[in-house]
Amino acid sequence: MKVTIHIWDLPLRLFHWLLVAAVPAAYITAKIGGPLIDWHGRIGIFILGLLVFRIFWGFVGSTHARFLTFFPTISRLAAYFKGRWQGIGHNPLGALSVFALLAVLIAQVGTGLFANDDIAYAGPLSGLVDKPLSDQLRGWHNTVFDLLAALLVLHVLAIVFYRCVKKHNLVVPMLTGKKQIAKALATSISANPATGFRAIGLILSLIISCIAMWGVSDGIAYLYHPGQSYQQTAQANPGF
Amino acid sequence: MNKKIALTLLLTASTTAAIAGPIEEQIRFRQSAYSFAAWNVGKIKSQVVDHPETFNKDAVAAAANAIAAVANSGLGALYGEGTDQGVGWKQTRLKPEFFQKKEEVTVAANTFNVAANELAKVAATGDINAIKTQFGKVGESCKGCHDLARIKE
Ligand code: HEM
Ligand code: HEM
Repeated sequence: MKVTIHIWDLPLRLFHWLLVAAVPAAYITAKIGGPLIDWHGRIGIFILGLLVFRIFWGFVGSTHARFLTFFPTISRLAAYFKGRWQGIGHNPLGALSVFALLAVLIAQVGTGLFANDDIAYAGPLSGLVDKPLSDQLRGWHNTVFDLLAALLVLHVLAIVFYRCVKKHNLVVPMLTGKKQIAKALATSISANPATGFRAIGLILSLIISCIAMWGVSDGIAYLYHPGQSYQQTAQANPGF
Repeated sequence: MNKKIALTLLLTASTTAAIAGPIEEQIRFRQSAYSFAAWNVGKIKSQVVDHPETFNKDAVAAAANAIAAVANSGLGALYGEGTDQGVGWKQTRLKPEFFQKKEEVTVAANTFNVAANELAKVAATGDINAIKTQFGKVGESCKGCHDLARIKE
């Protein structure tokens, strides 16, 4: 006997699938370069918005979106490895992967904002640091991407492993928000469906996310006027 | 007589060496050349892409000519043997593989030359949309060579 219960709320699922679309788009635009590097920056700032949203939603979202619900404590991890963990959201190992992915994405965005491509683009915050540091951050931006790519491969492989070996489909619940579980488990306390969704929390998270995107793309630049050197000297007169 | 010839040969050899310059000088000149090109790329970016309301046909044409002049200046001469090590204005970022990839490098450098000269032509017309398109191609050609020949920090 199976029952269907609600685990992933809509904002969380939207966050996830928008990220799935945006990260490859950021990668492709960066690799092609030329005029697309401007789009790389825009997509990167959008990803920043997604991340800020997710962090706040991790505190005010519904049950299984909350970091505290699935935080991979030592005791939870130990229980998981002994096969004694029970639950329906992220298991402790999956939770580690969630936190690792979020951290690496933050590093990716954080370095990109201060980087430059030495050609015709500089991150909106690059004016706040000197050129050698901005160049160094470009280097880290590249290195961090290798880490991100490795984690993403692991993430996808884990999903395939669950599908093929453990016969758990993780993709459908991330699409529909609903998961099918055995009736026996559904009555146990560890199989709690998602509750605690509040519109006010959603609105707040969205507002903070928008402020963050506006802040890096315009706000901080507006306060500090760093400008890009080329923009300050762009109106050179032919002659002298 | 023989001494005279030997002396002349010696002098010629040393002046040629001075023209080619020591390694540091080659690095310094190429870093300067690309930085100067980048300044002019930035001018066009600003007036054509970021703030088209500031578009000034003559200034953009002058910037495009400056980029083309850099491209046409024979930069290849600044990539002598051994210039993958050394400090110009700062430590060079030339990849050591540069010297094994001569053919690919030549293609990348030619792509830049063709794109830059075409940009100068298009810029002379003052057609901002055409300039924008060709400007994108120049940027791609810069990146093409950086991916190939330049160390990522
Ligand atoms: C998760 C989001 C991001 C991902 C996955 C990402 C990925 C990448 C990758 C893979 C490259 C290297 C391209 C190459 O090898 O040539 C790159 C370059 C770059 N990115 Fe990002 N990026 C992200 C966010 C950002 C943000 C937010 C900014 C700034 C607003 C930014 C600015 C840059 C710049 C300036 C470069 C050029 C560096 C160079 O020329 O090597 N990136 N990005
Ligand atoms: C308009 C197009 C280009 C722009 C805007 C551009 C821009 C730059 C900039 C700003 C630097 C850093 C200079 C410094 O470190 O002080 C640089 C370095 C470099 N560029 Fe480009 N570049 C362009 C085209 C090319 C092309 C076509 C090549 C291929 C031959 C190339 C190869 C390199 C190399 C090898 C370096 C490192 C030089 C060194 O440190 O010794 N670039 N470029």
